[in-house]
Amino acid sequence: MELSEYVQRGCQMLADPGCFDLAAFALVLRAAFRSLLEARADEAVLDHPDLKHIDPLVLKHSHAALATCILEAGKQKADKSTLSACLEDCKFDRERIELFCTEYQKNKNSLEILLGSIGRCPLLISDVSWRLEYQIKTNQLHKLYRPSYLVTLNVEDSRSHPDISFNCTMEQLQDLVGKLKDAAKSLERATQM
Amino acid sequence: MEEADRILIHSLRQAGSAIPEDVQSLRAFTAELAVAAVVGCLQVLRPSLSSSLSAHLPPGMSARFRLGMSLAQACSDLGYPRELGYQSFLYPSEPDLRQLLLFLAERLPPDPTQESAQPSVGESAILLRAVGAQVRELLTEPWVPPALRPQKYQDRVPLKPLHVQPFVFPKANTPEGASEVQEFQGGPLVPPVPAQIPCQAIRAASFLEEHTAQLREVPEGDAPGDADKACRRCLAPRLVEQLRQNWGQATSSASGARGPGRELGELLCTWGPRGKGSRFTHAEKFTFAQEEKVAHAPPLAPAQHPSPLSPLSPAHLEREVQAGQEAELASLQGCLELVGHSIQEAGATMKRLTLSTGQIEAEAHQDWLSATEREQARRLKRRAVDLLPDAPSNLAKLQVVVEASAQRVIHLTGQWERHRVPLLAEYRALKKRRDQRELESSHRAAELQALQDCVRVAAAEARRKEGLHKQLVAELETLPGDMARSAYTHRILEIVGSIRKQKEEITKILSDTKLLQKEINALSGKLDRTFAVTDELVFKDAKKDDSVRKAYKYLAALHENCSQLIQTIEDTGTILREVRDLEEQIETETGKKTLSNLDKILEDYKAVRQENAGLLGRVHEA
Repeated sequence: MELSEYVQRGCQMLADPGCFDLAAFALVLRAAFRSLLEARADEAVLDHPDLKHIDPLVLKHSHAALATCILEAGKQKADKSTLSACLEDCKFDRERIELFCTEYQKNKNSLEILLGSIGRCPLLISDVSWRLEYQIKTNQLHKLYRPSYLVTLNVEDSRSHPDISFNCTMEQLQDLVGKLKDAAKSLERATQM
Repeated sequence: MEEADRILIHSLRQAGSAIPEDVQSLRAFTAELAVAAVVGCLQVLRPSLSSSLSAHLPPGMSARFRLGMSLAQACSDLGYPRELGYQSFLYPSEPDLRQLLLFLAERLPPDPTQESAQPSVGESAILLRAVGAQVRELLTEPWVPPALRPQKYQDRVPLKPLHVQPFVFPKANTPEGASEVQEFQGGPLVPPVPAQIPCQAIRAASFLEEHTAQLREVPEGDAPGDADKACRRCLAPRLVEQLRQNWGQATSSASGARGPGRELGELLCTWGPRGKGSRFTHAEKFTFAQEEKVAHAPPLAPAQHPSPLSPLSPAHLEREVQAGQEAELASLQGCLELVGHSIQEAGATMKRLTLSTGQIEAEAHQDWLSATEREQARRLKRRAVDLLPDAPSNLAKLQVVVEASAQRVIHLTGQWERHRVPLLAEYRALKKRRDQRELESSHRAAELQALQDCVRVAAAEARRKEGLHKQLVAELETLPGDMARSAYTHRILEIVGSIRKQKEEITKILSDTKLLQKEINALSGKLDRTFAVTDELVFKDAKKDDSVRKAYKYLAALHENCSQLIQTIEDTGTILREVRDLEEQIETETGKKTLSNLDKILEDYKAVRQENAGLLGRVHEA
């Protein structure tokens, strides 16, 4: 399991007993799990009387780092030995590692369900329909006389996601079409390797 | 022959035969080399046979015999017209071998360079090819509506589309961070990072994406091209190393039946624990991991896992998310309605006020107008009142003034008429000119339009031609850079030139021969005529004189002897030609080394018999 510098710095602050005592660490840990697994993230998740004495910036940094660490562990399906090795790198002591592992085991299922529910790709476009409109004038301009396209992209699985609609000028549409053609050409070139 | 041999050997090398560099002609071919060359060609022409043929001569005589026979069989199956036996391969004679190799080289596919170049390409090319194959496979799949697609296991939980949003990451203890920034990030305006994105799945995906970006150490706000490059820079060595390892494993396990696409997928899978890669591989990875997990051990019921947080089953999770979203949506909509309402109210008030302002302004204007009117009426009346005291004289004065003004009006009318006529004429002329100009300008505009069309067409043409040029250049680059080709063409041209020279010489000799023939014919005709005249003269005198009769006899004898002599010379010529033919034949026959080959074959026969006898003896012993 590899952690970025930002996350490592945040975890090292958490591991520092001068900054977070064990009770505060447990509070931050639970808050991190809660803010990841609850459907609506609570903005007041860190507003605990026992955390009042800690610098809010340090608190937020460590909280974000811990949340990233948890998600990364869930993604890698990290077992206990991997987790403790990784946390030892961040200078966690034995008690904190133990606390983290128990908390992680408790929430492992929910975490996996959450990660499993993330799709693999952005929305898939299955069709497109378009309309041409001609603007004669606007509120600001007396004379405009400019065509504009109203494009609707139909997405797959349209029950849960509405179709994507936008309007664009002719140049923008040409740009879009050119980019799409480029993409198709690149794909074709890749197949001829 | 040397040149032809070199070309032949070059094409054999291209077909994959290992012919040493110092071998330059077929004369230097040993039995080993001949077998290797023929097997190399057959491997290209008949890939099905290649497993049963080995390019190396086995040590045992009978095995050699079998290999030779199977090679001969394969060649005659391909349609080789001449007779072939095992001795043609084991004791090759130069002309026979040349015939056979020429026959095989003609049948080689036109572009074997690519096939022979294949094993030497690098790993990246292999990867690209595998990617290409996979993409090709995906492109050939037809699109199927989502309802008709086979349901995968994890699809039962409706997936959220992958969507990523940026965060504001508060950074503690940054040396470069200004104190205001730290204050802002620490303050209540920046909520804790997970709370910055309301939707749960987007939150998790964004976290993972952000972490990957941090791992890549791509500075935020960099140009995307730079980021891409940096990514590639750190990816490339790892890619190569990984490929090398896995490739080695794959080849050593010798299970080559898998397609390259499948292997690629495995390669990418083995990559997993490194935690680097694109967002798609990440997403794929954790969904796969999830799938495996679910497949191996179905998730325990939430009741079995006591947890301080509400345990999340998929449906529960879904419902909660939806409820959260709905609540947020409702509150936002309420807000929106409120704002809209106030905007509408303000608009109505403004409209009302503008209306009343307009009314008041109109009223003021009317009042002003009526006031000025009244003022004028008042002034007139005042003057009339002023004139009243001395009425008759004033009346006369007014009469005079009226008359004078009437005179002046008449005078002015005349003057106006005088001015008007030339002005009217000028006006008409100007109008005409203007019409002309308009016509001209419209012509010009049409011309301009046509020119613009021309320019557009030319530009399109130029673009098309540029594309064509680019395509042709690409094609040229893809063409195999055959270095030997030009050299060989050059040599072939030289050979053709020398052949032409030889042909000229032959025609010269032929014309010489014809000239000689003509001379001979002329001489013999002259001889015949001379003889006839002499014969007649001598015969006439022979009746009278005895000595002349003798002379006539001698003449006849001379003629006869001479013709015999000529006949003999001709015969000698034909015999000499025959002798030369026979000598040539003898030379070719000796070139085939039939006798020595026969000896060798006899020896082989003996060797085979000995082997057989030995084997029989061993069988008996056993």
